[in-house]
Amino acid sequence: MTTLQHRPDPDTAGAGEASGPADEQTSGGGRPWLIVAVREVVVRVTNRTFLFSTLFTLVFIAGFAAFSAWQAGKTTTYTVAVSSAEGTRLVEQAASTARSTSDTVVITPTTVTGEDAAHAAVDRGDVDAWLHETSAGWTLTSGDDVGSSLRTPLEGAVRAAALDRNAAAAGTTVEALERGATLGADRFDGQTTNRGFVQAATFAFALLFFMGALMFGQQIAASVVEEKQSRLVEIIATAIPLRALLAGKVVGNSVIAMGQVVLFAGVGLVAVSFTEWSSLLPALSTAVVWFILFFAVGFFALACLFAVAGALASRTEDLQSTTSPLTTLLMLVYFASFALSGTALKVASFVPIVSVVAMPGRIIAGDAAWWEPVVSLLLMAAFSAVTVVIGEKVYRRSLMQTRGRTSWKQALRTAD
Amino acid sequence: MNDDGDRLTRPRATADIELRHLSRTFGEIRAVDDISFTVGAGRLTGFVGGNGAGKTTTMRMVMGVLSPSGGEVLWDGRPITALDRRQFGYMPEERGLYPKQAVLDQLVYLGRLRGLSASAAKASVTAHLERLGLAERAKDHVEKLSLGNQQRVQIIAALMGRPRALVLDEPFSGLDPAAVDNMADLLREHTARGVPVLFSSHQLDLVERLCERLVVLAKGRVVASGSPDELRATSVSRHRLVLSGDAGWVRGVGGVHAVDVEGHTALLEVVEHGAERALLEEALRRGEVHEFSPQRPTLAQIYREVTA
Repeated sequence: MTTLQHRPDPDTAGAGEASGPADEQTSGGGRPWLIVAVREVVVRVTNRTFLFSTLFTLVFIAGFAAFSAWQAGKTTTYTVAVSSAEGTRLVEQAASTARSTSDTVVITPTTVTGEDAAHAAVDRGDVDAWLHETSAGWTLTSGDDVGSSLRTPLEGAVRAAALDRNAAAAGTTVEALERGATLGADRFDGQTTNRGFVQAATFAFALLFFMGALMFGQQIAASVVEEKQSRLVEIIATAIPLRALLAGKVVGNSVIAMGQVVLFAGVGLVAVSFTEWSSLLPALSTAVVWFILFFAVGFFALACLFAVAGALASRTEDLQSTTSPLTTLLMLVYFASFALSGTALKVASFVPIVSVVAMPGRIIAGDAAWWEPVVSLLLMAAFSAVTVVIGEKVYRRSLMQTRGRTSWKQALRTAD
Repeated sequence: MNDDGDRLTRPRATADIELRHLSRTFGEIRAVDDISFTVGAGRLTGFVGGNGAGKTTTMRMVMGVLSPSGGEVLWDGRPITALDRRQFGYMPEERGLYPKQAVLDQLVYLGRLRGLSASAAKASVTAHLERLGLAERAKDHVEKLSLGNQQRVQIIAALMGRPRALVLDEPFSGLDPAAVDNMADLLREHTARGVPVLFSSHQLDLVERLCERLVVLAKGRVVASGSPDELRATSVSRHRLVLSGDAGWVRGVGGVHAVDVEGHTALLEVVEHGAERALLEEALRRGEVHEFSPQRPTLAQIYREVTA
């Protein structure tokens, strides 16, 4: 660039080519991808719909936790009508069993004269059920279904009483009869797991991933096609390399997506600490950290693919069809998180994108060795890297193709 | 760098944009066919042609939005680079901005992409908004502006921050007469600092009024180029002849072509140089000559001639 030596003109000099006060205006631009990323973040964060949906989800998570806590702390009182001293004894024993397993169930006996009085009391709502002896043994009669929190301790009491009686009649004891009849369960790692909890947590991961990926993926695709449809991309393409535009979009949206997921996960963890599952928090926290790591790496690849989907469309109306392979993929990941188990789940936890949900699920369940998430994450990082490289090519080629819709197949073919 | 005298005498010259044998095919169609011309530094060059003549395709190739099938674009005598284009102002054929972003914010964003610092971009955008009467709309979303005002925002996107060259596709379309004058003044300010400006237009009177140079395109080829006067010189010269008697006899005179004869008046094209002298002598012999005047062809007339 010898031009400037011949015609020094600071006003029109290029970036970094000349010095002088007037040069300031062309030299302070910063990195193009960063400018794009910052715009993506600012536009999204100041978008009312986005703010409301985030707030709504947070309220939902907190509300769910509050409801669980309330549910867990609520005391249920059952009143059982009996007509004999034997019945009263059974109910009292059931009450003590219930108290020892959960301090939120209270069972009290009340004496009635007979069936008619019991029926009337149940109809009035004074008692929940009538425990009485028939020729076949003890029967619990009620107006409606009996909750398991009442039924289970009562069954236990009746059973214990019957066993005692029968054992005595046979000249032995219950302890002698039951010797060796129990099945113990423990794990080599000494941990205790709660199957319901693992399922719930996996579901939460799947939902977070599905929602986050779909929402931000569609946002990226929409913002790409917005620029393409309005031909703003022509102005942008003359100013910065398209690679920088893509990078800015992917980074910007990934940052917000991550921010949102971290926020949700954080609130979710605090919420869990108020529930009966709070003892499982350490295991859950580890899994959440892994989940966020997986999400970050996986989302990067997805963001790039969604940007390509946006570039393949030339109008917003085309987006539905160009993003459908991706939404289908996300649906599969979502359903795989419930449907798979055993070896299939083990394999899935190494398949990029599917592993975002599957691996953290296995980590909570405690059946993943320390190296497994590391290998899985590396596999996904490699997948993301390849996706970004190919995606960038397709993005560049299809972005300037302003007439009609390009198919994924066409775009991939021309990418070589 | 050829520092020829012409370029040094121009005020604050930057460089020329030179198109060399530029071609572009879309499948079987040759949209642009071996185009060569120069957009001189400090010159306003008008790009004229009918719909589908290849103006937009050519401009997109200059800006690197479309890659040429053949030929090249030179800037300052060497092949143009992406870095050069980054400092160009460009207004694409189809207009569009971020509908849901404030005018000032998105112009500053576009300025920063072109390499301006945030403060420089803001200063330039604010100054332009004021000049184009949009200062009060700076915080409004673009979708709330009228089409004419959106057009002005688009103009600012191209002109802000001292671009080194301007490539504008139909910059005047959709503007009211006052805005056209405003825009013309702005463009002249840029040429005054030595910036080459290429703009396309359908409005021939406007092009004639503004441009120092004209390139006429038809079916993907340059059919004429030069200053309006140069174009007129290449055009066949016409004369108006008004006689005291009937002018019908001029049809028989050799070397001239009677375009139109009506009563005492004839409109003639001189085909053979010097034939007008013989014609005039004959006219004087036959009676009185009330008028014999060369007709200055309008640009529209030249345009029709060269694109016919």
